Amino acid sequence: MREILYAGFGGQGVLTSGLVMSQVAVFKGQKATWMPSYGSAMRGGTANCTVKYGNDTIYNPGQEEPDLLLAMNGPSYQAFAGMVKLGGIIVINSDIISGELDVREDITLHRVACSTLANEIDQPRGANIIMAAAVIKLLNDFSLEDGIHGMNDMFEKKGKQKFEAGNTKSFECGYNAV
Amino acid sequence: MADMIKGNVAIAEAAVRAGVQFYAGYPITPSTEIMEYLSGRLPELGRSFVQAESEVSGINMVMGAAACGFRALTASSGPGISLKQEGISCISDEELACVVINVVRYGNGLGTLYSSQCDYFRETRGGGNGDYRCIVLTPESIQEAVDLMAPAFELAEKYRIVTVFMTEGALGQMMEPCVLPDFIEPERHSWALNGKYTYKKIGIFDRNSMTEAVALNEKHALIKENEQRWESGHVEDADYVFVAYGLPGRSVKGAVKELRKEGHKVGFIRPITTWPFPENGFKEVNQNVKGFITVEASATGQLVDDVALTAKRVFRERNVPAWSLCCVYGVPSLKFTKDGFARIMNNELKEAY
Repeated sequence: MREILYAGFGGQGVLTSGLVMSQVAVFKGQKATWMPSYGSAMRGGTANCTVKYGNDTIYNPGQEEPDLLLAMNGPSYQAFAGMVKLGGIIVINSDIISGELDVREDITLHRVACSTLANEIDQPRGANIIMAAAVIKLLNDFSLEDGIHGMNDMFEKKGKQKFEAGNTKSFECGYNAV
Repeated sequence: MADMIKGNVAIAEAAVRAGVQFYAGYPITPSTEIMEYLSGRLPELGRSFVQAESEVSGINMVMGAAACGFRALTASSGPGISLKQEGISCISDEELACVVINVVRYGNGLGTLYSSQCDYFRETRGGGNGDYRCIVLTPESIQEAVDLMAPAFELAEKYRIVTVFMTEGALGQMMEPCVLPDFIEPERHSWALNGKYTYKKIGIFDRNSMTEAVALNEKHALIKENEQRWESGHVEDADYVFVAYGLPGRSVKGAVKELRKEGHKVGFIRPITTWPFPENGFKEVNQNVKGFITVEASATGQLVDDVALTAKRVFRERNVPAWSLCCVYGVPSLKFTKDGFARIMNNELKEAY
């Protein structure tokens, strides 16, 4: 079973990034859970969600020990980097988190300038999809095609198919960025 | 293929499919999505939705709809349910049927927004003034929650009692795939008020509380006999049996699986009804069991009282100790349960009973 923690400021789209991951897993026939922070977190400040997926029963949908942390801002990195599993992965938004970082030796760190990339491909609101795709690539459980199909299926069911071309472009960009 | 769906939304849609004709309530985190969803969904189907001016009026509107023989629902959380207690006690007194959803959040007074199980005592003991109980359902997953919604109403109507559907903040807010149940169209009850003054008016001084007490006890006994629901595993040879419900109950099953792999003879009982408490599940436990361990999201340990009382009834010849592992709020990790078990094995944690 995989566990991923998506964290950032409210409005950066981390809850949607996590949802894309969970829906891709479900789309491929796996079990998945998505557990958000809610309440006070929703009212300004940080937002995060834990996604778990795999073929076995997910007993605890809550956070335990993430295989991968996506940190979209500095406070999220500071708060959660220590919780990542030994030998785990951390992906940071290097547009916001810059300079020297205190990184654990066992961790593989990936820097993705998601906002810069989003602007480069003319999808200014696609930074979270770029990151969702980067996470899917790094975990190596699903192909680019699986990811795009699962994501588009999800947005179509939400009545947001008009964003499909843009989302697909963002997803490809993120998948190729790591 | 089922898609990801939020707990509160799935529960609300399941209530629609169970034939809810009327919802009245007042929003509160973490239950709000239930009424938000129903505010659009019920009128779409020609049914009734009221955002009441308060929890008190919401539950009294539910009483009115129930008296008219319709499936009526309200939902809230912790302090909101406190405000509804007068109405719930009255509905119980009138022997009307309805479902009250409590998406439990942690704390006393206004408390917090954290997911919790701290309302266990209140829900399983009736909650308001008087001498009544509510049937209490405690699902572990979104799938189980939607599957229990129609039974929640069926039980309420079968016994003319209030069913409290007790979930947790985390279950309301999380998403996972689920298959929604089919639509059912319940019939309006024959005993419903019909506007023709068919029923004799019984005033407060006309009541015979002694006769009513006999009937009440008979009803409670019948519910205890017929309606206990639980899931259990590995109890026949277990030295220690965990007892936990809701999301902690689900998490504990994972911990039991790992502890078994590590050679510990442990089992679990996961109450699905916390009232009636699943005493029959305890009768299947190894007669030489060394103890029960509850895992619960409260500070003080509440479920452990029912476990100790049940152990006393089932194992009359000896005192079986009961421990309580309290994570206060949230969903306990598998590690929390395993670490707690290790502390108990090392005599570092005193039993509650």
